Amino acid sequence: MAPKSCSLCQNAKPILRRPKTGQQICKHCFFTVFETEVHNTITEAKLFKPGDRVAIGASGGKDSTVLAYVMKTLNERYKYGLSLFLLSIDEGITGYRDDSLQTVKRNQQQYDMPLKILSYEELYGWTMDRVVSTVGKKSNCTFCGVFRRQALDRGAASLGVDHIVTGHNADDIAETVLMNIMRGDIARLGRCTAICTQGEDTIRRSKPFKYAYEKEIVMYAYFRKLDYFSTECIYSPDAYRGHARGFLKDLEATRPSAIIDIIHSGEAFEVKDEVRATQKTQQTCKRCGYMSSNNLCKACSLLEGLERGMAATAISDKGRRKLDGQAPTPENLRTIPYFHTPITVAIDVLPTPP
Amino acid sequence: MSDLCGNPAAEAGEALIPRKRKFDRSKICVKCKTNPGNLVIRHSVYCRDCFTSLITAKFRQALEPHINHASTGPRRGALNPSGGLLVAFSGGSGSSVLLDLVHRTYCTNVGSDELKGGREHPRKDRVWKRIHVCYVETSDVFPETSDRTARMREAVARYEGCEFIPLRVQDAFDRSWWERVSGDLSVLPVDLCRGEPVPIDALKAHLRALPTATAVLYTLSTLTRLLLLYTAYSIGASHLVLGTSLTSLSISLISSISQGGGFVVPQAIQEEWIPPFIKRIPGATSWSGEVRLIRPLRDVGMKECTAWVWWHQLWVVGKQRIPISEKTIGKITNDFIIGLERDYLSTVSTVVKTVGKLAPKGKPGLRCVLCELPTQQSAQGWKARTSIHAFEDAASPEDVPTPLLAFLCYPCHTTLTSKSSRSSKSRNLKSSSPTSEPSSTLNLPTWGAARLACGIGDEESTSSSANEIWVTKKLDTDLMKSLVGEFMLDER
Repeated sequence: MAPKSCSLCQNAKPILRRPKTGQQICKHCFFTVFETEVHNTITEAKLFKPGDRVAIGASGGKDSTVLAYVMKTLNERYKYGLSLFLLSIDEGITGYRDDSLQTVKRNQQQYDMPLKILSYEELYGWTMDRVVSTVGKKSNCTFCGVFRRQALDRGAASLGVDHIVTGHNADDIAETVLMNIMRGDIARLGRCTAICTQGEDTIRRSKPFKYAYEKEIVMYAYFRKLDYFSTECIYSPDAYRGHARGFLKDLEATRPSAIIDIIHSGEAFEVKDEVRATQKTQQTCKRCGYMSSNNLCKACSLLEGLERGMAATAISDKGRRKLDGQAPTPENLRTIPYFHTPITVAIDVLPTPP
Repeated sequence: MSDLCGNPAAEAGEALIPRKRKFDRSKICVKCKTNPGNLVIRHSVYCRDCFTSLITAKFRQALEPHINHASTGPRRGALNPSGGLLVAFSGGSGSSVLLDLVHRTYCTNVGSDELKGGREHPRKDRVWKRIHVCYVETSDVFPETSDRTARMREAVARYEGCEFIPLRVQDAFDRSWWERVSGDLSVLPVDLCRGEPVPIDALKAHLRALPTATAVLYTLSTLTRLLLLYTAYSIGASHLVLGTSLTSLSISLISSISQGGGFVVPQAIQEEWIPPFIKRIPGATSWSGEVRLIRPLRDVGMKECTAWVWWHQLWVVGKQRIPISEKTIGKITNDFIIGLERDYLSTVSTVVKTVGKLAPKGKPGLRCVLCELPTQQSAQGWKARTSIHAFEDAASPEDVPTPLLAFLCYPCHTTLTSKSSRSSKSRNLKSSSPTSEPSSTLNLPTWGAARLACGIGDEESTSSSANEIWVTKKLDTDLMKSLVGEFMLDER
C-alpha cells in the first residue's frame, strides 16, 4: 500500500518510488534530491571555478539533455559563474544522428546556449556510414569510440573551453568497472571511476552524473518534460558490454544499491604501485599532437588503416606492426589536423537564436 | 557447386576471422607428449598422470610460499609453519579436493622416499604436526535442510591423521563457544535480567532483521569465515585453508565488488587475521597467534576439481542447497560468470588475475565490528552524499547515525540497510547489545558484542606490552545506559 506522505518531506503525496533508494517520494522532493546529489558531486570534486567555460557534450539523448538542463539550473541556483556551451559530434550515421542533432538544436534554443557541431567527415574525412561499409559491423564501435573522444577534445579546443562535461551516468560507470575487471584492462580500471580526467595536453573532462542512476535521469526528463531522442545506434552494439549491462540490470533488480556499491568498490581500490610502474607512459602523437601511449595515437592509426584499405589490421597493436611492416606511410596520406591545447579563445559556433 | 554454405553472415563477408577451435590441435598430452590426452583444459590436452602432477604443483605453488611466517620461498625442505593447519570443509568438490591434496602432500607422501637424504633430512618431517578439519553446519537455520555433520565426520575419517571439528553457525552467538575460543582474554557483557539468549534464537533474530536474501547469505558467509578463523586461533593453527576454486573465487570477487567490497578485495584472495583482543607488538617478527587464510586451489578451476574427484574416486558429500528462493547477488553472479566462461574461456582466470593487481586506496580504519575486515574511512559520509535518504531538517529516526554504524565497513552497512526493490522492511540499528530484544534491535555475534563492550578502537590504537591485554576504557554514556537501562526509574 502506498504511504500517505512523501518519505522525505513527510507532507506531499508520494508519486514515485525512487530507483536509487526505494523511497516513495513526491515530485518536488525527487527534483530536489536529484539536483542536490549532482551539486554534491560537483562541489565535493571541486569540478569548476568561477569564470570557467564549460562545454556540455550533447548527443540529443536523455543523459546529455538532462545534463544540459541540470547544469544550467545549478549554475543559476548556486552561482557557479560558468559559461556553458553545447558541443555535439556528428558521427555521420544516417537516420540515427540526423534526428538527435535536431534535438540538440532545440536544446540550444530552449537553454539559450551557443552550440558547436563537429562532424567526423570534417575532422577525419570519413563518416561512420562509410567506415561501416569498409570494416563491417564487427569492430566499428572501436572506430566510433576512438574518433568521438578525440573529436570532443578538438571541438572543445575550437570553442576555447576549459572543461568538457559528459552525461555518463552511474550505470555506465558501474558497467565499465565490471567490464574492465572481466577483460583484465587494468589501465582503464585504474581510471574509470575518476570523476575528472585530464592529461597534460588535453582538456579537463568530467562526469557530473557519475552517481545518477539511468532510471532517475529518465524519470527526471519525464517529469520535467524535456525533449530527448531515444534510439539505439543502428550499428551493432558491443556484445561484451551487452553482457555486462544485462548482468548489471539483474543486480539492480535484486538490490537497487548495487550500482552505487560497484562504483564505491571501484573508488576504493587502485592499481598496485608495482603494476602501475609497468604501464606505458603517456606521450603525444607524433602525427597529430594528441595524447597517446604510442608514437601514433589510436585515431591516427585507425585513420591510416582506413586510408590504406587495411582498416582491420590497425585495430590491434599486432596489426599496427603488420601495417608498418608492409610499406612506409604514403606521403599524401590524409591526416588529422594538429591538435593545439586551448590557449586562445576561438569561437565558431552557431549563434544563439534571439 | 557453389562454395557458399548458406550462412548469411558468411555470404555478407562478415565471417572473415575463422572461429577459434575449441580443442587442442593434437590429441597427445601437451606435457609428457607421449600419452593420449584425457582432459582438455583451456585448449590444452593432459593425460591423467600429468593432470595429477599439474594440479598438485598448482596447489603447492599457491600454498607453500605462504607457509613460513616470513616468506622465504617455496622449497619444501625449508617449510616451517608457526602453528597447526585448519582445513575448512563444506563437503563440496573444492574442499574435498583440498583435503585430499593436503593429505596426499603433507601426510601420505612424507618419508616415502626412504633412500634419499637420510633419516634426519628435513623432507622426512611432516610439515604440519597437527591437521584439523572444521565443518560449519547451517541446517538449524533452515528447517528444510538436514543435519549433515555425521556424513562430514565420516568423509573426514577417511583421511588418517586429520581431526574433525564440527561447529554450528549459531555458535557465533553462543557465549560458551566464545569463552572456549577466546579464553579469558575477552568477555561478553552479561544481561542479569534476561539471562542468556538461546544461540539459535539470537541468530534467527539477527537474520530476520536483514532486509534481503542477499544479506542473509552474506551474513552466513561472514559468520562461517569468522567461526573458522576463531577456531583456527583457538587450536593454535597458523594457517586456515579454504577449498575455493578459481571459478568460485572469481564469482565471489565479482559478488563482493557488487556489494561494495572493493576496499577488501585483497582479503578476498588471501588474509592475515588476528583476534582484536591480541595486541601485535610493533616491529615483531615472531608469530603471535595470527591466522593466515589461504585459498590453495585459487589456480584450479571447477572443471579440474571435478576431474580430480572423478579420477581419484573421492567421496563428495555435496554442498547444502540453501533454500532461499529469491534471487541473490551471489546466485546472479554465479550464473553470469559460468555463462560468460562458456563463450570467453579465460574469464575466471582474468578476473582473479586482475583483482590480484589491486590494492586498497587509502589507509584502513578500524576493523568492522561484524566481519572484522578493515573499514574505509569516511565511507558513511560518501554514502550520505551520493544517496540522500533524508533532508537535514526532517531526518527520520531510523536514519540517524548510531554508534554501531560508525563501526561497520561499507559492505556490512549495505547488508544491514540496503533494501531489495520489493522489500519494505526497515532496519533499526539503535541498540547493539546481544541480549536486547530481538524484535526491535540488532543482535551481534559474540565477537562484535565483546568488542563493543570493551571499547572498539582501543585494541588497535593502544600500545601495551605483550602480557597486558586488557585496556581500561571509560564507557560511553549511551552504552552504559543500555547496560543498566532496565534498572533506571522514570525521572518524571
